[in-house]
Amino acid sequence: MALNDPNWGRRGDGPPDLDEIWNRLRQKLPGVFGGKGGGREPGDGGGKRFPAGAWLLVALVIIIWLASGFYIVDASQRGVVLRFGKYLQTTEPGPNWHLPYPIESVEIVNLSQVRTLEVGYRTNVKNKVLKESLMLTDDENIVDLQFAVQYLIKDPKEFLFSNRNPDDSVMQVAETAMREIVGKSKMDFVLYEGRESIRAQSQKLMQQILDRYQSGVAISQVTMQQAQPPEQVQAAFDDAVKASQDRERQINEGQAYANDVVPKARGSASRLMQEAEGYKQRIIATAEGEAARFRQIQTEYSRAPAVTRERMYIDTVQQVLTNTSKVIVDQKAGSNLLFLPLDKLLQQSAAAAPPPDTTDRAQAPDMQQQSAPTVDPRSRDSFRSRDRESRP
Amino acid sequence: MSRAFTAVLIAIVVVLVVASLAMFTVDQRQNAIVFRLGEAVHVITKPGLYFKMPLLDNVRFFDVRILTLDSEEPERFITSEKKNVLVDSFVKWRIVDVVQYYISVGGDEARTRIRLAQTVNDNLRAEFGKRTIHEVVSGERDRVMDLMREKVDADARKIGVQVLDVRIKRVDLPQEVSEAVYRRMEAERKRVANELRSLGFAESEKIRADADRQREVIVAEAYRDAQRIKGQGDARASQVYAQAFQANPEFYAFYRSLEAYRQSLKSKSDVMVLDPSSDFFKYLKSPTGRLQK
Repeated sequence: MALNDPNWGRRGDGPPDLDEIWNRLRQKLPGVFGGKGGGREPGDGGGKRFPAGAWLLVALVIIIWLASGFYIVDASQRGVVLRFGKYLQTTEPGPNWHLPYPIESVEIVNLSQVRTLEVGYRTNVKNKVLKESLMLTDDENIVDLQFAVQYLIKDPKEFLFSNRNPDDSVMQVAETAMREIVGKSKMDFVLYEGRESIRAQSQKLMQQILDRYQSGVAISQVTMQQAQPPEQVQAAFDDAVKASQDRERQINEGQAYANDVVPKARGSASRLMQEAEGYKQRIIATAEGEAARFRQIQTEYSRAPAVTRERMYIDTVQQVLTNTSKVIVDQKAGSNLLFLPLDKLLQQSAAAAPPPDTTDRAQAPDMQQQSAPTVDPRSRDSFRSRDRESRP
Repeated sequence: MSRAFTAVLIAIVVVLVVASLAMFTVDQRQNAIVFRLGEAVHVITKPGLYFKMPLLDNVRFFDVRILTLDSEEPERFITSEKKNVLVDSFVKWRIVDVVQYYISVGGDEARTRIRLAQTVNDNLRAEFGKRTIHEVVSGERDRVMDLMREKVDADARKIGVQVLDVRIKRVDLPQEVSEAVYRRMEAERKRVANELRSLGFAESEKIRADADRQREVIVAEAYRDAQRIKGQGDARASQVYAQAFQANPEFYAFYRSLEAYRQSLKSKSDVMVLDPSSDFFKYLKSPTGRLQK
């Protein structure tokens, strides 16, 4: 405050020595008051020297005293001015002045600085305070809850004058409000779907209670740091969460199976349909072809039936007899004891025919002894069955 | 001269001393009682500058802000179902009648706290004894707190104190009961987990079975439609054949038989035992083609 006095500043550093000041004043004063004093009462000039210095001193003291009323309010602060202990006004940021002590006094309050309160933990969420964090829910379960409350001062007058320890009040109110809200909610609601709602409700309740105390505090935010079951039952809860994922997984697997099976079935269905359609086309075309052929032959036949019939018959028998083995037996001419070694005949014809599959014979050598006609169809059969087996 | 100045100084000092003895300020946060020789003569409830008789009068200040009584250790109460609970509460109170306050507790804050704490405890015990844990924790929490405030406030008025609020902070279960609660919670979660898993299995099976059913239906329906189409083809073919062959059924029988002979008898391994007397061989025996009878 003394620095506000221009004379004071020039006197250099160090604590001012009162005696020295006094002496200097005495030396200077005649120069200041000399003209006036000398003019009015020249003879008494020496006698007035001391009181004149004293007045200046008094003036100086008064100036210093008045200057002590200056104070600066920062942008984030407000000043609360009391006159004789009674609230006078709240001053805005900037340089301000109040009547000096003991008439007025000022208290500076930090307004916009956000204050943070941690409930259920200190500094770090892992550093739990179980006494604060464990809460009973409506369904008599216990949850472990950590939250932070951010607040600021909305009314510096109320903040200063209504409560003795406003900051402690906020802590108490935060705890009781949160416990009340949690106590009215079911555990699953607190832990999972209702976190946002719990947060909002508790903030509202905190504000209500604080307003009732006229604390001048505004809760700006309540943040849920953590909401979980107590450590003792953590494993069971994790398992339940895992179970719900297992459920999802199983459903997905079922879905995957369905997605695999149904399209395949659709595929084979359309194959069946296409095959049927192909069969239909084929059978009709065949029929039409054969019918057309028959119709043409029949036309020719109707022109010369006898000859055509004879020709067709002979052609056919010729073709048949050319391809087959034949034995002509004149029964009437021969005796009754005709011996026909049919098996020999068949063997011969088989040998003449292109040899059947050799592996087949190796597998069944006794078949050589047996009748040839059985060999051929059998070998074909076994061939087919093997084919079928070898296919996947 | 120097003496005159000193005299002025002394005069100022004396004035200041007298003023400081005769004047006092009451802060915004305080109320005050002025005692004159032990007798309360003046109660000051408004802040500001006041005068008193120096030496005779004596002023006592009282903090009239809202004060907090916060129980340090949770108290153990018994609920109506004979369960123990640990309860932590706080009381917001302030002095409203300083004279009454001074007379009843001597203006001693510590004594007031003890007195309030006892009242709160007694009342809480009574209220908890009438209620179950569930009611205390959730259902009637508000009501308990309201009742408490009314009762404690009524009592505190006798000592010049207003109770603004009695709030329950924690309602906790003692350690051994907590353990039981944890076990119950665990069992409950297990139940939920098992249920979820079984549900998942059931739903998965349902989806699979449904897929299998769909497969069967799709294939069967396709088979049905395919057979129908094939039948249509067969019918159409029969129709075509019938139309053509009806022109000469006898010739068709002949023609078709020849075709069948050709198809069925075409391998060397087919052995035909023939009688030369058959029609085919008629020229083989005689150039005239007459068969000998």
